[in-house]
Amino acid sequence: MSYTPVQLLENWILRQASDAGQAWLDTQREAVATSDLKSLYMAFGFAPRKVGKADLQLTERDLNDAAEARPGWMPHAWTIDQAARVLLLMSLPSEDDAAFHATLEKLFQTAEIREQICLYQALQLLPHQELFDDRLSEGIRTNIKSIFESIAHNNPLPMELMSEQAWNQMVLKALFIGAALDPIEGLDRRVNPDLARMLIDFAHERRAAKRPIPVELWRVAAPFADEVALEDMRALFASGEQLEQSAIALALVSTACDEADVILKTNPEIAKRAESGEITWREIAQQAY
Amino acid sequence: MKFIDPHIHVTSRTTDDYEAMAKAGVAAIIEPAFWLGQPRTNVGSFQDYFSSLVGFEKFRAAQFGIRHYCTIGLNSKEANNEALAEQVMEIMPLFLAKENVVAVGEIGFDDMTALEEKYLRLQLEMAKEVDLPVLIHTPHRNKKQGTYRSMDIIEEHEIPPHLVVIDHNNEETCEEVLRRGYWAAFTIYPKTKMGNERMVEIVKKYGPERIIVDSSADWGVSDPLAVPKTGNLMLERGVPEEHVELTCYKNALAAYGQSGQFEESDWLNPEPIDQRTLFEGNSVLRGGQTPRVDKPEDDRIIQ
Repeated sequence: MSYTPVQLLENWILRQASDAGQAWLDTQREAVATSDLKSLYMAFGFAPRKVGKADLQLTERDLNDAAEARPGWMPHAWTIDQAARVLLLMSLPSEDDAAFHATLEKLFQTAEIREQICLYQALQLLPHQELFDDRLSEGIRTNIKSIFESIAHNNPLPMELMSEQAWNQMVLKALFIGAALDPIEGLDRRVNPDLARMLIDFAHERRAAKRPIPVELWRVAAPFADEVALEDMRALFASGEQLEQSAIALALVSTACDEADVILKTNPEIAKRAESGEITWREIAQQAY
Repeated sequence: MKFIDPHIHVTSRTTDDYEAMAKAGVAAIIEPAFWLGQPRTNVGSFQDYFSSLVGFEKFRAAQFGIRHYCTIGLNSKEANNEALAEQVMEIMPLFLAKENVVAVGEIGFDDMTALEEKYLRLQLEMAKEVDLPVLIHTPHRNKKQGTYRSMDIIEEHEIPPHLVVIDHNNEETCEEVLRRGYWAAFTIYPKTKMGNERMVEIVKKYGPERIIVDSSADWGVSDPLAVPKTGNLMLERGVPEEHVELTCYKNALAAYGQSGQFEESDWLNPEPIDQRTLFEGNSVLRGGQTPRVDKPEDDRIIQ
């Protein structure tokens, strides 16, 4: 049987919250359901004091239920106060989309760090998601890496809502600030020539500054690699560190073009490991950060 | 020795200051909401200022290993703009419940006008409603009258003195403040408020109980190392170490700890969730540098 996101959140909180915390949350949700904004603002702030800040203890099955209830929802890093705050937001009447949007914007504009993380992760479960595409673009301008990652990582909304321009900025900025690319949902699906060109330019900037080039870059640049990019990859495949060579091999395998095959043949051993699936982007990301 | 600076306006300080503070042993700081050296003209400026106190500044401090807290309030100077003050009162509930807010403040008197008194009283009631301590700013001019009047009003509102820190004391005010049971804070601020040699004498005379040392360093000529410098001077001049610990660390912890939002474990053993959200992301130190203090020979080189 399948559950709704509200049912799942309620169950997860019920497992971990104290009786007092649970009772507090129930009362606040009732108040918020009457469009009492002061209650929403105060309860949203007070949630960690009332229900605690522990990580949600989720099983494989919980995560599968989540993905079934909302495709792309990956709550494995959520905390109990985050779940409680999302339930408060989901209790807010939403028939009037402009009013709903305005209230959420007020919360975004006045949020502290963990509240912002919560809000950006919450949007995927809330009504009127399509009204928040500008908010996502605004969010990725942050200087705070954990907030950036609450949008970019384990969140289906950028893939679903962002314009190509905003999407490309998000991917480039992830590389720029040292956030992994692998947890970006839809990363391979939304590759595009503009993004590949931006990434190759970025790789050249890094090389000129004698700074390392993030290895995940090649995953996104390779599908549209031109001669310049192929030349870069040929050079790194010949003389880069092992992690770079693995990443280049995996990137080249995915392009399936003749020039890529020629480069791969220069190191058949790594090429074979990439072709057989022995090397994965997930592992490369884990080693890189 | 570890220090807490429970009154510093770090929003207007540089990363050099943060590095120096961390090196001198400052583990935690409290940034009271105040004015910015010129009056704000609309409520949006207050909203963004409060947001930076609960958000970006907390993050910025954490990059240097310093835990940042704040107090939220409408300061006395800007309480005199009634139309604006009303709007600020409306947005305060959005901020008082935030996680690093340890008091309502700094509030009190500047010119001792009727409007200043009105918003002092309203905010005292707000503090009662959300169960937070209060930080009182005492005026530069007419200080003694302003300080006594503030305490009278607090007593009318039946807020117990152990929940209130009276700041910017001097030799003339501290005896009465201590006698009535309040926390007495002293601001070591060059040329105007209090010098640290005078501070040493005050601690020798009154002892360490309920006395708190802070810097109030801000956009003016001031010293973000005032607390460690004063603590070290006390040691040098024969004040017992435990008295230094009380006045430069433990008393602030006890006073603001009453908020439930200010605990030593926050900086000694941060919870994993705090470490993930505060300390990992590192954009102040661009390019993945780790926080460090430059060696003199590195000064010419910018990597």
